[in-house]
Amino acid sequence: MPAAEEVKSSWADEVELEGGTTLPAPTEVYENGFKVVTEYKINDDEKKVKIVRTYKIEKRIVSKSIAVRKTWKKFGECSNDKPGPNPATTIVAEDVYMQYITSKEEDNKQEEDALDKLKALGDKTVVKCRKCNGEHWTSKCPWKDTTLAGGKIDDKKPTPMGVGPGAGDANKPGVSKYVPPGMRDGASKRMDGPNMQRRDDQTAIRIANLSENTTDADLEELVKRFGPIVKIYLAKDKQTGQCKGYAYIHYKFKCDAAKAISMLNGHGYDHLILTVDWSKPQNPNQ
Amino acid sequence: MKPLMLQGHERAITQIKYNREGDLLFSSSKDNKPNVWYSLNGERLGSFNGHQGAVWCIDVDWTTTRFLSGAGDNTCKIWDCETGKEIGNIVTNSSVRTCMFSYSANMAVYTTDKAMKQPCEMFIIDVRNVDESISHQDPILRIPINGPRVSSILWDNLDESIITGHENGEIITWDLKTGKKMNSVKEHDSLINDMQWNKDATMFITASKDHTAKLFDAESLALLKTYKTERPVNSAAISPIAEHVVVGGGQDAMDVTTTSARVGKFDSRFFHMVFEEEFGRVKGHFGPINSVAFHPDGKSYSSGGEDGYVRVHNFDSSYFEYNLDY
Repeated sequence: MPAAEEVKSSWADEVELEGGTTLPAPTEVYENGFKVVTEYKINDDEKKVKIVRTYKIEKRIVSKSIAVRKTWKKFGECSNDKPGPNPATTIVAEDVYMQYITSKEEDNKQEEDALDKLKALGDKTVVKCRKCNGEHWTSKCPWKDTTLAGGKIDDKKPTPMGVGPGAGDANKPGVSKYVPPGMRDGASKRMDGPNMQRRDDQTAIRIANLSENTTDADLEELVKRFGPIVKIYLAKDKQTGQCKGYAYIHYKFKCDAAKAISMLNGHGYDHLILTVDWSKPQNPNQ
Repeated sequence: MKPLMLQGHERAITQIKYNREGDLLFSSSKDNKPNVWYSLNGERLGSFNGHQGAVWCIDVDWTTTRFLSGAGDNTCKIWDCETGKEIGNIVTNSSVRTCMFSYSANMAVYTTDKAMKQPCEMFIIDVRNVDESISHQDPILRIPINGPRVSSILWDNLDESIITGHENGEIITWDLKTGKKMNSVKEHDSLINDMQWNKDATMFITASKDHTAKLFDAESLALLKTYKTERPVNSAAISPIAEHVVVGGGQDAMDVTTTSARVGKFDSRFFHMVFEEEFGRVKGHFGPINSVAFHPDGKSYSSGGEDGYVRVHNFDSSYFEYNLDY
């Protein structure tokens, strides 16, 4: 194990070292419960790369048999490995979360509702006025000769809250609307992976500008009054454990999330003013 | 949770197993070197070098002194856990598909495949004193299996009987005093890939190619619960602390390249043991999961996949706080 002094070389030495072709020797430093391993490499572009790995050293009290096994010498393929995990064989993978499937029945209900609606619509006569979208032939449209009819043709998507006779009909556009394959009945099962992802994102909010001293408990206290929560993620510094200033909250229901946004955005919390918005997907392509 | 990815194998993982205390995790793969890892930090303790073919099955005894492995090179080997040295080698007529130490580790069982004009057979051997002579010792019991081959095995009832899972989905209990069948059921339609005990060995869970995992009572072989998925199930395990079951699987390895990971369903699925309802999923592998195991303290679990990685997951606090609404 190299002594700590080796690392504290003066900057001038380091500059000289960089000038040469030799790479600095890898170092291992133990300080306040962390092991810092520094390695130097030349990457594919022939540039020098410094790799710093920080390991937390933990002491655990275990039964005797386990403690004895911890002192066993390495054998086989890794008989030459140093103590501690070898980065070639042990990798800390990306964060993964357990996706909870809580609102299963709710989902089914929604699907059924949508299906029922479609079925109900299917029973009705498939006649649609090209002018006002009403359920009658275009030639028999009562608004045939008025300006309103002309206006309707232009904006193909009448706003549901629009005024005039077309407004009531616009709420049932399913009469002859194209249904994408993914939304058709029976397709829901195939889509279930990506669907879940989307649902996850839709009920998630992002809270920013939290103070450093915020803890998980504080955050939970703040957000739980708006409704049931699926997941809370408070970004924390790996080493100090202090809050990094933002958090993601996954609510069970979207309306609760919306409520939380409207109530908490601009709300003063611990001498700071919170910024709360919908969580945006990390990469929209997925 | 941040999983630890253990990258010690060059080919698909076939089985992973914790020792009794859970501080060591053993893994075997179709490359010929089983590995052992510290489960806490993912550090590799060693590899058992000596097999010439795919290692199909592994087991470790109660005191973690000896390690058993069976491979496609027609051998079954016994190793010293501390040094990784081979202490016993048994040459068989065909590849060894399953092996397991008995509860006391006085005996071990292994089964051979029906291949190369050899029948499927089950051997029970004495492993109290293992040395080179074990290769020409006669087994205590040699039971020919007439019919479909054994694909998974468990010791039952404090070493008095053995439960075997077969290629056609049949489960048979064997009495070791007589070497005869005691009981048999056929609840699965296809190959049983894996069987694992619950903590007190009163129930066991089977994982079958017929897309289901099933929970059985050990004594009567009564079917208790069924966990349904859409893909072949390769492995299933029961949590030692909660009424949870983890199921790993995915489509057949041969179809993997033609489908994306998203539709391949390569996630570990968590079911409630009693209500048979799936409540959670964990993604991560790029191929089907071949083996899953719970840590004996129930606070973490591991999965080994066709992609050659073993992933060790420590559960988040949300998992322990989770309650199924019913």
